[in-house]
Amino acid sequence: MPESTSEQLTIAMIEQRLLDFLVERTKIEWEVGQDLFESGVLSSLFAMELVVFVEKAFDVSIEREDLALANFRTVRAMTDLVLRLGKAADA
Amino acid sequence: MREDLPVIVTEAVGDAAGRWDLAGEIPLDLLRGLGGKGLLCPEIATQFGGLGLTGRECGELTAHVGSLCSSLRSVMTSQGMGAWTIWRLGDRTQREHYLRRLTAGELAAVAFSEPDAGSDLSAMSTRIREDGDTLVVDGVKTWITASVYADLLVVFGRYGDGGAAVIVPATSPGVRRDPAQSPMGCRAAGHATVTLDAVRVPRTNLLGAAGQSLAMLTTIALTCGRLSVAWGCVGILRACLAAAAAHARDRRQFGVPIARHQLVARHLAELYVAERTATLACERASDCWDAGSPDQFTGAVLAKLVASRAAAQGAATAVQVLASAGAQDGHVVARAYRDAKLMEIIEGSNEVSQLILADRVMGVGG
Repeated sequence: MPESTSEQLTIAMIEQRLLDFLVERTKIEWEVGQDLFESGVLSSLFAMELVVFVEKAFDVSIEREDLALANFRTVRAMTDLVLRLGKAADA
Repeated sequence: MREDLPVIVTEAVGDAAGRWDLAGEIPLDLLRGLGGKGLLCPEIATQFGGLGLTGRECGELTAHVGSLCSSLRSVMTSQGMGAWTIWRLGDRTQREHYLRRLTAGELAAVAFSEPDAGSDLSAMSTRIREDGDTLVVDGVKTWITASVYADLLVVFGRYGDGGAAVIVPATSPGVRRDPAQSPMGCRAAGHATVTLDAVRVPRTNLLGAAGQSLAMLTTIALTCGRLSVAWGCVGILRACLAAAAAHARDRRQFGVPIARHQLVARHLAELYVAERTATLACERASDCWDAGSPDQFTGAVLAKLVASRAAAQGAATAVQVLASAGAQDGHVVARAYRDAKLMEIIEGSNEVSQLILADRVMGVGG
């Protein structure tokens, strides 16, 4: 299943870039499924940092309904968003 | 940046800023004229009738406007925030429709703060609800800059489980604007309390979508506003520095120009430090904005804190140097003194800015 392998690799790469950014900015390690905002410590300002980081790092535009906190709650959610927007751009 | 842009503003303002301060009003046709040239939201792309300036160029122009008149600069900040919010949250049709209007002479104001929601915007109680094909907006917004002049109000409020912004024509039935009485600074910036009583607008006026975070949406608009205010403070400092230097050169006491007195010379040096420090913080933040860097958000907060403190301190210093020559309402340093103090309050007070920066320092490790 070559297609699935390549997609998994892409997911892993996206996740790693996000995790690297998170550890740099928050000074702690995160899991891909962990809710970044649950503790209430990370702010809406940080959510916007994630928005523009994702836009710049993965060359996507996050607009309208995609600018929702739900899309930035976890590394997994951000990865899904990047894949979805990347596909939309290719189409 | 086109060299004629600051010249157009200089000529439009002429020597009127002091009179506008005393009258508490800028002529509406002058605002429409500048707006119609795209000068009040100069970052908007040329495809929408804007000037397409970079953030850094827009900042320099904002500083120039701020050096002439902080009230006019405040109107520019509101227009810029309104246009930016529409750009960032609007769909293609909304962008085309509204940005064209905001570069053709119509004016915008942005409404966040409420009687019980100032620093704590999460306490906002303005509600946007659906009723068939229309939206109904209810709430009270206080200290809304430029709202006296505005054609379009960009109103933030609760919407469903989250938040949204909605474009409300200022003449809609149910909108009342009560101008702020004798504001301490930026007296001609058109501050008002805006009451929205069951105001109905078409659903197509909604910016954003269901389920969005009100705090994220306000951060988008406020970051633009903070950069603008910060650059405006650079302008205040440039005006103060020029006025203090000219006076220190011309005014003689004890047989020499007062600049030759060391205690006055120190004031001039401190003003220069303030202007340079604020400029560097603003340049850095605008470069982050232009580069699409995640640092733009804290960068804007840092620039606004640094520049507003520098302006408040620098304006007080300039009044000290000019003494009786500047101690009259309408004078450039007297205006600066009152206007700069308000810059330590709006778009995130010094204290709120400090809390944001402390968060940045600590990450979540705190």
